[in-house]
Amino acid sequence: MLIFENILLALTAIRSNKMRSFLTMLGIIIGISSVIAITSIGASAKGVVGKEFESYGMNNMYLYVNWAMTPDGVDYEDLFTPEDIEALAARYPDDIQYIAPSISSSSKTKIGRTEGKLNMTGVAADYNKYKNMKMLHGRMINKSDVDGQKDRIVIDKKAALYFFNNENPVGKTLGVVINEEMKDLTIVGVYEIEASIFDGMRASDSYSTYVPYPILEYSDPATSYLELYTNEKKNQNDLGTEFSQYLSRIKGKDPQFYTFESAESQMGTINNILGTLSIAIGAIAAISLVVGGIGIMNIMLVSVTERTREIGIRKSLGARTSDILMQFLIESMIISAIGGIIGTGLGVGIAAIGMSFAHISVVIQPSVILLAVGFSAIVGVFFGLYPARKAAKLDPIEALRYE
Amino acid sequence: MTEDIIKIENMVKVYANGEIQVKALKSINLTIQKGEFVSIMGSSGSGKSTLMNILGCLDRPTEGHYYLEGIDVREKSDNELSAVRNKKIGFVFQSFNLISRTSALKNVELPMVYGRIDADERHERALELLRRVNLENRADHMPNELSGGQRQRVAIARALANQPQIILADEPTGNLDSESSVEIMDIFTIFTKLNRENGNTVIIVTHERDIAEFTDRIITFRDGQILTDERLRTKEVIPC
Repeated sequence: MLIFENILLALTAIRSNKMRSFLTMLGIIIGISSVIAITSIGASAKGVVGKEFESYGMNNMYLYVNWAMTPDGVDYEDLFTPEDIEALAARYPDDIQYIAPSISSSSKTKIGRTEGKLNMTGVAADYNKYKNMKMLHGRMINKSDVDGQKDRIVIDKKAALYFFNNENPVGKTLGVVINEEMKDLTIVGVYEIEASIFDGMRASDSYSTYVPYPILEYSDPATSYLELYTNEKKNQNDLGTEFSQYLSRIKGKDPQFYTFESAESQMGTINNILGTLSIAIGAIAAISLVVGGIGIMNIMLVSVTERTREIGIRKSLGARTSDILMQFLIESMIISAIGGIIGTGLGVGIAAIGMSFAHISVVIQPSVILLAVGFSAIVGVFFGLYPARKAAKLDPIEALRYE
Repeated sequence: MTEDIIKIENMVKVYANGEIQVKALKSINLTIQKGEFVSIMGSSGSGKSTLMNILGCLDRPTEGHYYLEGIDVREKSDNELSAVRNKKIGFVFQSFNLISRTSALKNVELPMVYGRIDADERHERALELLRRVNLENRADHMPNELSGGQRQRVAIARALANQPQIILADEPTGNLDSESSVEIMDIFTIFTKLNRENGNTVIIVTHERDIAEFTDRIITFRDGQILTDERLRTKEVIPC
């Protein structure tokens, strides 16, 4: 097969036509680098989304009325009552770690001359055990706060900095309006949560805080959303289906009347969108690889014509048809493999630079690199085959006569 | 005991160029013995180049038989013909036909590459061959850095690479200036030595009578037929 000799020959040929070889490779370089860059960016984004959901807890779930089932609006008796919640928690003691109505409210507040807006999320006890958060001062809302419907609040580190200039605010009070009623909430803790890429997207100017959920309820405690943290060892889809069907049953509704949304399924949806996008853009990039391959074929055909006489000489000295075929095939493969390697480097570079602007660490998938370089080599073989066959089939006498 | 290394029987070669058929060789019969020093003469179009191509296994006869060392070339596959060109025949061309961008040494190595000889042996043999044509100090020169005579000597070294029995030279001095008669003489000295000392069968195509007279036998072609076949001198064939 004379592979080693042919590789040396190919490198000599590529080196003696540097500019032309580079231009030939360009198509492959562009194709491969865009495939690598796009898939790396896609994978990095997936990684970020995954991390984001992990910070919420992958076992986070919401149960709610399936709006599609109630075209005429939700009736009062369809809402979840405290008894429903208790029944559900009692039915699945091992699978439900946390359950509470999901209620939130917002209010303006003022400390001295500092005015700001608070977003208050109602939680049950020990919410910080499930959501990924760190207590900096004091404690989280506890059972006695919830049971006693106490006017307590846990604020974000940023709020503490804004209102209290970073001194420990535990014990201080914040005046807020809840359900048109003035309340003074005592700060019992300050928490910190890891910065999220969604922070920038939340255009809200309000600070996140947590309060015992009963203080946000109107006189009537029925609610349309439940927040849960579930047994993370189980399939979240199965659990969600089971919970919502149980609720439908105890409330005498169709099995699909209540539905759920789990962090896992949301992440799946986002990953699907990202994956589809990656494939779509990747396909466009793959087209540029084919265009690159045609470029290689074109230049190889020129090269065969230019070296007609050389081919004749080689044949007269005993080169077989297959020897000549291999010579040109290896040359086109090396051109596209070099293009593939440069393209990979460039693609990784582009992805790294792009991701560094978004402050996301870049994820490089070795499988994609292998695939891209392998694909470029296949492009080299496929588009090199025709010119190489043309060279190999040359009649030695005519080739020797060629000027 | 002499051996017919080349035997041609009723050989016809027709070139079909579209509608027109050109009979380049019209029923040739020819025998060349091992160790002969032969020249083939004729004007252009006489069929001598066609004969050369067939003798060198670059082309096949349309009709008739060509026995090389007693074996009918017709029955050989393309790959077998490549092997014959590689091992049994050494070509020397009028226009040298060295591969540019490749050093003299690499050019000499080329037939050995296709003969699947390993790199170390190739290198050593190529150097030895260049020494034989007095060009060992030009091994790393590119063809365009060599004079015509030097290039032809590299080509001869290349032709000898796989120690072929037959040397086919097509107007080997045709591209050399007639002033550089020293170079022409050098080349003929090499051919003569190859024939006399090495026992090679040397066949030279030329259209110049004074060059043909270096050889022992002159075969003259005209219109695709052998016109004359003269033996200038008989020599004892040294078996090798």
